[in-house]
Amino acid sequence: MSSAPGLQFRNVSRSFGAVRALRGVTFDVSVGEVHGLIGENGAGKSTLLKILAGIVQPDAGEIHWRGERLHLGSPREALERGIGMVYQEMLCFENLTVAGNIFAGREITRGGRLRHAEMRERTRALLAELHLAVSPDAPAESLSAAHRQLVQVARALAFDCRILVLDEPTTSLTDAETDHLFAVLEKLKARGTTLLYVSHRLPEVFRLCDRITVLRDGAYVETCNRREVTPDHIVRAMVGRDLPPRTAAPSAVREPRPALAVDGLGRRPWFSNISLTVNAGEIVALFGLVGSGRSELLETIFGLYRREAGRIRVGGEEIDAASPRAAVRAGVTLVPEERQRQGLFFNLSVGDNLVLPDRTARGGLLLRAADERKAAQALVERWRIKTAGVDVPPDSLSGGNQQKIVVAKWLATGPTVILLDEPTKGVDVGAKFEIHEIIRGEAARGAGCLVASSDLPEVLALADRIIVMREGSIQGQLSGQGATEEAVMRLATHEAA
Amino acid sequence: MKKLWHAREFSTVVILVLEILFCTWWLWPEGARTHPFLNAANFLLILKYSSIYGIAAIGAAIVIISGGIDLAPGAVMALAGVVAAQLFVVAGWPLGAAMGMGVLVGLASGLLTSALIVLVRLPPFIATLGVMGITRGIAFIITEGQYFDVSSRLIGGWRPLGLPADWVAPVILIVLAVVFQILMTTFQWGRAVFSVGGNETAALFSGIAVSRIKTSVYVISGLLAGVSGVVLVLVQGQGKADLATGYELDIIASSVVGGASLSGGRGSVIGAVLGTLIFGVLRNALPQIPGATFYDRLIVGLVVIVIVVVDQLLLKKRT
Repeated sequence: MSSAPGLQFRNVSRSFGAVRALRGVTFDVSVGEVHGLIGENGAGKSTLLKILAGIVQPDAGEIHWRGERLHLGSPREALERGIGMVYQEMLCFENLTVAGNIFAGREITRGGRLRHAEMRERTRALLAELHLAVSPDAPAESLSAAHRQLVQVARALAFDCRILVLDEPTTSLTDAETDHLFAVLEKLKARGTTLLYVSHRLPEVFRLCDRITVLRDGAYVETCNRREVTPDHIVRAMVGRDLPPRTAAPSAVREPRPALAVDGLGRRPWFSNISLTVNAGEIVALFGLVGSGRSELLETIFGLYRREAGRIRVGGEEIDAASPRAAVRAGVTLVPEERQRQGLFFNLSVGDNLVLPDRTARGGLLLRAADERKAAQALVERWRIKTAGVDVPPDSLSGGNQQKIVVAKWLATGPTVILLDEPTKGVDVGAKFEIHEIIRGEAARGAGCLVASSDLPEVLALADRIIVMREGSIQGQLSGQGATEEAVMRLATHEAA
Repeated sequence: MKKLWHAREFSTVVILVLEILFCTWWLWPEGARTHPFLNAANFLLILKYSSIYGIAAIGAAIVIISGGIDLAPGAVMALAGVVAAQLFVVAGWPLGAAMGMGVLVGLASGLLTSALIVLVRLPPFIATLGVMGITRGIAFIITEGQYFDVSSRLIGGWRPLGLPADWVAPVILIVLAVVFQILMTTFQWGRAVFSVGGNETAALFSGIAVSRIKTSVYVISGLLAGVSGVVLVLVQGQGKADLATGYELDIIASSVVGGASLSGGRGSVIGAVLGTLIFGVLRNALPQIPGATFYDRLIVGLVVIVIVVVDQLLLKKRT
């Protein structure tokens, strides 16, 4: 490991209004190392990355590369300095082809004219290097989320970057794709590229990174050598306190009374002949890799899509209509996967977001402002949502707290069946723990919970029962207690049960 | 052939051809009289009047592809037209100089729009709504409601660049359409316009000079509206402040019928020009259908909806 002075952050500070996103952060990244950067949502990682990408300017402090000060006034300047970024949000041009996406903003040209053939060839070579079976001419909108993420990586590789920053690159990747990505990153590291890797997933960070820097509340906490620390140590550094031990004890299911019964449900091409039951007070995990049809199944149960076959019964009563309205009336709620797109109204306040489903379910023409305020404040306190108040817009909150709003607002309607699609995707360990507690609390109250997740530790920690889906059908069921990661993965990836 | 089938403009061409065939059949004359629709003189007429919309629609399509909207073209056409007409008729400027001034007026209004959107950061809808009012207002102020008779001052047999006068508008349209189609599809600038329209944040993060691209598209839209206004005055032979009223919506509709998506990132210059031809044929044929006079607006409205729906269905089928 070379310890040459590589990328140095010196006293970097940045405030947004009254919020101090970064408070004098100082640390070094050595040349050619893989450096993990972790912290809870709101710890300041994103701001630090945006400064490095030239999108945000620091109020104070400097960034040096090999002893030379970097001026990063715009994204273009950062790119020209050899700083490549793979962003967490999908920064994809759906209207362009794969080749168009990879070269966007840095097209190969002669006299302003695009050199299509050359870009296509370079793209083909890059995709081959990444073992990505996609045509350079394929429209980006036709790609799966995982492939789009890999195209982002290819984009960063297309230009010999000296520093590659990856922000949660594996959120929408399957394990196999993650392995694949890591192999590529190892190759880059061997080539001498300096990598800055941001993730919530501790196992990944420990697998990949040489050193790990922890941020908390905008301040630098420590940099550790991976070999010298344990994941528990890092978690303590991130949250600044000890997490209570996991209450993995499954909620003892009393006499089984089905809250949700699905019989022979089918919707091509996503899934067919799905039968499952969720009892009142039970947490059932629906495990499957990306593309296994689990999100579509939840959305069909919730009435977003018309089913082709099968019956859905809630508390013994059949739901006929395929509409979310009918589902909500029957006591079913869905906590959707993508909070940015499906879960929150960013034009409304935190308070409005919290009371909206309940208001809609109860009907009525008039808004009772005072009552709703009180209800919203009660929810904020009950779910410990960190917000400046109920009147601020949701985008002023950290990702974990936004997700708590998405979960909490639906629970306010007192549902009997709760469908959750990746409820802790992209949230930090602290918020993840609290969301798990919320789900357990709802189950204890008597609701039947069906949680779709591709996060194995989460599935094992949370579920009373695990249903594994693959390619649109149920591969098997496991009891939550005896299940191991291997057993679940085997069902999710292999043919025989 | 396969490439043609996959080309974005394919369905627009099909619609145009079907429309011409339908009009030919519907208006087939009794006896041996010349066909009132299917004859060279009529086609030139359609082309001439469509060019007015078409030139402005090139700019509108580029703005829409960049994810914006321009409501000003109709009013900018009127202002450019009356400035050119007044300078030519009242101030006695040579025709070329007066027309050039009209085009510059379009350019200036494009710069104003850009400044409002890029510097003041107004949403394009509001900025261009304001510029629409401003330009239309100035047109009324400088004309004081009078109109300038350009046609009587044009020398008989006026042949710019050796072309018959009727050919001026179509030739300008074709040249501009080819130039901007090439700029949009094979130049880095055009790719940047598509990128900004497809995902503005991603464009910014990719190091694309988003403000510069936005400035360029509104300047081009203003400039082309200026050209279009001057051409309108030449074709109609007079300049007045209420010229081209409501054209902005027809122009936007043409771009959309030609495949542009109002959410940005999709569309083409050639498509927009074909879209104006679809409307041009309709505007030409409807008055010839007995009893259709009161129906023409209704029919135009229905056609917009039908074409866009058919286009979406075809698109789904092809991909």
